[in-house]
Amino acid sequence: MSVNEWNDAADELNAIVASFDEGEVSVDELFAKLERATAIIEALEERLALTKAKVEELTPRISRIVEDE
Amino acid sequence: MAMDVEMTDEVLEVAQFYQLLTAHLEEGFGRRRPRWVRGEIAKVYEKGHVYLDMVDAGSHSDTKRPVLNAHCWATPWGPLKKRLAAEGVVLQAGMVVNVYGYVDLYAPQGRIGFTITDVDVEGLLGDVARRRQELIARLLSEGLVDKNKHTVLSAVPLRVGLVASPGTEGYNDFTGQLLNSPFSFEVTVVKTLVQGDGAPLQIAAALGALDERGVDVICVVRGGGSKGDLASFDDERVARAIANCTTPVFTGIGHTGDESVADLVAHTHAITPTKLGEEVVGIVARWYDSNVQDPARRLLNFSRDVLDEASVYLAERRRTMIFAVRDRLRAEERHLATMRERLVAQGRAVLRSAELMLQSNRQLVVAYDPARRLAQGWSVVTNAHGAVVKSLGDIGVGDDVDVRVSDGVFGARVTKKETR
Repeated sequence: MSVNEWNDAADELNAIVASFDEGEVSVDELFAKLERATAIIEALEERLALTKAKVEELTPRISRIVEDE
Repeated sequence: MAMDVEMTDEVLEVAQFYQLLTAHLEEGFGRRRPRWVRGEIAKVYEKGHVYLDMVDAGSHSDTKRPVLNAHCWATPWGPLKKRLAAEGVVLQAGMVVNVYGYVDLYAPQGRIGFTITDVDVEGLLGDVARRRQELIARLLSEGLVDKNKHTVLSAVPLRVGLVASPGTEGYNDFTGQLLNSPFSFEVTVVKTLVQGDGAPLQIAAALGALDERGVDVICVVRGGGSKGDLASFDDERVARAIANCTTPVFTGIGHTGDESVADLVAHTHAITPTKLGEEVVGIVARWYDSNVQDPARRLLNFSRDVLDEASVYLAERRRTMIFAVRDRLRAEERHLATMRERLVAQGRAVLRSAELMLQSNRQLVVAYDPARRLAQGWSVVTNAHGAVVKSLGDIGVGDDVDVRVSDGVFGARVTKKETR
């Protein structure tokens, strides 16, 4: 299951959550929507973890600049 | 040439004449009768002893002006020079000075001189201060006091031109600040004297050379000392050289409380060489902080905020999804349960209604049971076809009919019909 750019994926996820909030989800649709929302969340979490790891790599280098008084 | 002079007095030998003259001079102006004499120094020369040619102030253009050949021997000159130096006074041409001493005669050259035993230091200080104020006034009128202040300082002055005497305390204090900083300063040193007669010329030349060379800032440093030690920095040549530099000139001269004319005309001045080093490092540090460290800090914070926000968002969405699905399923369960309950209730109601209807019918049936009627004395008449006779039209006179009573049937014949 493919996931688009972060913002697009977040928009899709928000729309799914909104449809639940508004009671628009039939029982037939429920599983498909839940499956899609789970896939989006997992993909975004994976992407976030990767980004965090990259940022953590760079953080000490930037911190050295910040702390270099 | 005829001489009318009558030689009545004793004729003296030259030496005798000088002895007599010396005796007269000693009596009137000798060491027992010292005098104060005021004059402008026309020439000054020092070699162990110090020699001054003094004239009346303002008599430069007069070729026949009187000149006093004054001198101060090395023994009194040593302490006197120290006193003057402590107050920042260096005897030089143009100064008007009050000297105290006595007349002497140097017979081998036939010269009358003046032996100085003291100098009016207070008066000289006033003169030095006046000359300093005059210099400042001149610099102000020529727009030189602020000229160097208008030069543009590089945002990152890492190329530093240094006018100083290497190895001195002031030099070490200043360069120590730069070396101990985290920045890579490129220092070009032009070695000069920082005190004494030759210093002003060397300092002015060094300023010019560094200005030509192209550095970000020129720093002039000199550690603390007496006013005399720092006198070079009140020199007009130094002041003009600083003012005319196209490069910003920073000064760090002496210690707290000293402010020289060089400080006055400089772009920036610090109270000591150490403070000047701190100032230069501070400029670079402030630039580094605002242009490198602060953006890095904000970048770091921004990255953390974005990641934190994304983490919170995903956690919240995950929670929301779990609750939303659970709520949705529960709602469906509730709906089904409600429907089930309604169906059961409705079924019960239908059954109850049917039951009531049956009961009612049953009562009716009981009420209308023919056996019950027959027992009460009622009978049922049927014709030959077995049909119940309900009216006179159903039978004719002479017809045989069956009459059912509670316990059996008997036959009968219709004998008459009569309408009631």
